[in-house]
Amino acid sequence: MMTHTDYQELLAAYALDAIDPADRQALSEHLADCVQCRDELSALRDTTGLLSHAAAPQEPGEHVRAQILAQVRAETRRETPAQVVNMPQRTRTAWPNMLRLAAAIAFIALLAGVIVLWRRDARMQAEMAQLSRQLDAQQGEMKSSRDLMARQQEALALMNSAVATRIQLNGMPAAPNARATLMFDKQTGRAVLLTDGLPATSADKAYEVWFIPKGRSPMPGKVFTVDSSGHAMIMERMPPEAMDGAVIAITVEPKNGSAAPTGAIHLASPAS
Amino acid sequence: MQAEASQISDNDLLKAIARGDETALAGCYDRYRLILFGLILRILHDRHEAEDVLQEVFLQVWRRAKDFDESRGRAFTWLVTIARSRALDRLRASGSRARLADGIEQEPRESIGYAAQDALKSEEGAMVRRALAELPEEQRRTLLMAYFEGLTQTEIAARLGDPLGTVKTRMRSGLMKLRELLRDSRG
Repeated sequence: MMTHTDYQELLAAYALDAIDPADRQALSEHLADCVQCRDELSALRDTTGLLSHAAAPQEPGEHVRAQILAQVRAETRRETPAQVVNMPQRTRTAWPNMLRLAAAIAFIALLAGVIVLWRRDARMQAEMAQLSRQLDAQQGEMKSSRDLMARQQEALALMNSAVATRIQLNGMPAAPNARATLMFDKQTGRAVLLTDGLPATSADKAYEVWFIPKGRSPMPGKVFTVDSSGHAMIMERMPPEAMDGAVIAITVEPKNGSAAPTGAIHLASPAS
Repeated sequence: MQAEASQISDNDLLKAIARGDETALAGCYDRYRLILFGLILRILHDRHEAEDVLQEVFLQVWRRAKDFDESRGRAFTWLVTIARSRALDRLRASGSRARLADGIEQEPRESIGYAAQDALKSEEGAMVRRALAELPEEQRRTLLMAYFEGLTQTEIAARLGDPLGTVKTRMRSGLMKLRELLRDSRG
């Protein structure tokens, strides 16, 4: 049985969040009943907070401030429906008509300044370079140039959008050097997936994307192969169930895809 | 904008943020980014991750400013607690991937100019560092391990090979002594 002194002696550890779980439980119950200890704890928490001064102040990258404010503004806009910009409706036709394409081109031109800012971020630089390479590589593979332009505009718009959600996928034991980034717009569900470092599959196999919402079975996404430099850019549609907290995974499957995952997982996002 | 922002108290800044004032959030970022990023970086040792966490922190500040209760503690404490918690969450989520200090955070030097920072904060920082230096080494080490590495008393005892009781005493004595030293220096 703990005495009041025992509880008091644990307050410092509690303030530091360094208390062992069993002690935490006991002290927490005591705190509910003891004003003296709650006041003491509050003071010790202020002292604890001052330990932050033991770390040398450091300057973050310049882009961080802008990204925070952009995200905050986007949240404000989402929460005040009257002010929401008219977003394209999700229709069965996946690709924009010529008019919206022209608007998208103008939009990209306007964002040139933003792209310059974002280029300072080394990661973004690598992804932009990869996107250029990918677009070059796919020049000859697209059926129509209109399709290609649409994909380019969409991918660039997503990458430059402050509103787009990003999910990082990490290489699994089957492909430890692989990585991928999925960027999507929660309003429209349009997504772009960029992969890097995936080995080429054999001729009878391909990679498949899976969306795994919490507690549900995997939903199949696109089937794709990588180009000669190990990259792929896939335009995707996020199922609504997968927009919040789903795991995204990539496995190897037979070349026409599979209804359920059968092959080794090569990439996966962390479980939230 | 920066000049006006520096006149506002921390409490008023948080109140403005709670009202949805984006300028106030920007002001809070300008005032606290050096301390908060330094803290997060010291915990994570990785600049890119630390920048991600810094963004998470300010989003949380934006969303939760209305929950800050000035009768329960300082605004500064509230802010650094969010930063420390998010950084430790990220540290634990990354599993046991080895984190090597890459030498980019040094012991704080007083010669660092805090151009955009509130003069009071840098004074407070200097006071805290002086007080920490006055603690017995074992007490200081215990506090810093708990704070920056997120270890429990048992984990610290195991790491140092010391009895749990000794660690408990050092942690308590260290934090109380620090509080005393700072109370004295504030007068």
